Amino acid sequence: MNSMPVAGHPRFEPGSRTPLQVIGWLAAAGLLAGLVMGFGVAPREATQGNVQRIMYLHVPSVWVAYVAFAVVFVASIVYLARRVEAADRLAHASAEVGVLFTGLTIATGSIWGKPTWGTWWTWDARLTSVAILFVMYIGYLLLRGMIEERERAARSAAVLGIIAALNIPLVHFSVVWWRTLHQPPSLMKPGGSAMPGIIVAALLVNFVAFSLLYVYFVAKRARLLRLEEEAAA
Amino acid sequence: MPDHWGFVLAAYALAAVVLFGYWRRLARKEKELDRK
Repeated sequence: MNSMPVAGHPRFEPGSRTPLQVIGWLAAAGLLAGLVMGFGVAPREATQGNVQRIMYLHVPSVWVAYVAFAVVFVASIVYLARRVEAADRLAHASAEVGVLFTGLTIATGSIWGKPTWGTWWTWDARLTSVAILFVMYIGYLLLRGMIEERERAARSAAVLGIIAALNIPLVHFSVVWWRTLHQPPSLMKPGGSAMPGIIVAALLVNFVAFSLLYVYFVAKRARLLRLEEEAAA
Repeated sequence: MPDHWGFVLAAYALAAVVLFGYWRRLARKEKELDRK
């Protein structure tokens, strides 16, 4: 008789290695598929030329950043309400990965901005609000590192994690609410996307790949945080 | 508009370095903790 997966079995614990490795390989395959879609299948964009292909990197990065900080928001509420340490570890891991992808969003946006806008950086509404978001979550990570007492660090970080998340809608709608150099949303806009189907498909493949990578990174980081705590105890 | 392949390459290379670097950092930390 085949052995059935049992809850609590080491292989099936959240963040345990085997499912994590599967997610990691799926993310790697997804990223490869994203590259094929972005460079091999999606056509050259008529107005911007091939430099528009940076979009397949830039837009999924900011999507992951939004998701990561939304997870920090929910996990922080759960921690404050129930004092579940796993929720705190999830918030911590998600904030770290969110900072990574926000940094990537800013850097790739800057590289894309130079040939299209003629400048690496400008203080328009979208760029400024993303920069504030980036700094707030760096502050979140610094705050965690500065407070030695674990429970106090988790509680303070949870409060900041909730407050900082209020910036996410500001970032997303900044291009709608203010006249700004950054273009309005192309995909997630009211009335649906006006982009050709093949470009949307290439973007969606990259969305899936980046989302899988986010899950992989967060699960791995949360597991490491647990192991670090166990080693320190 | 010119294609600016250099900018495309720079963006993808930067992403590769950042994401691979973070993955390596996690893997190294995991190895250290597993040894303890």
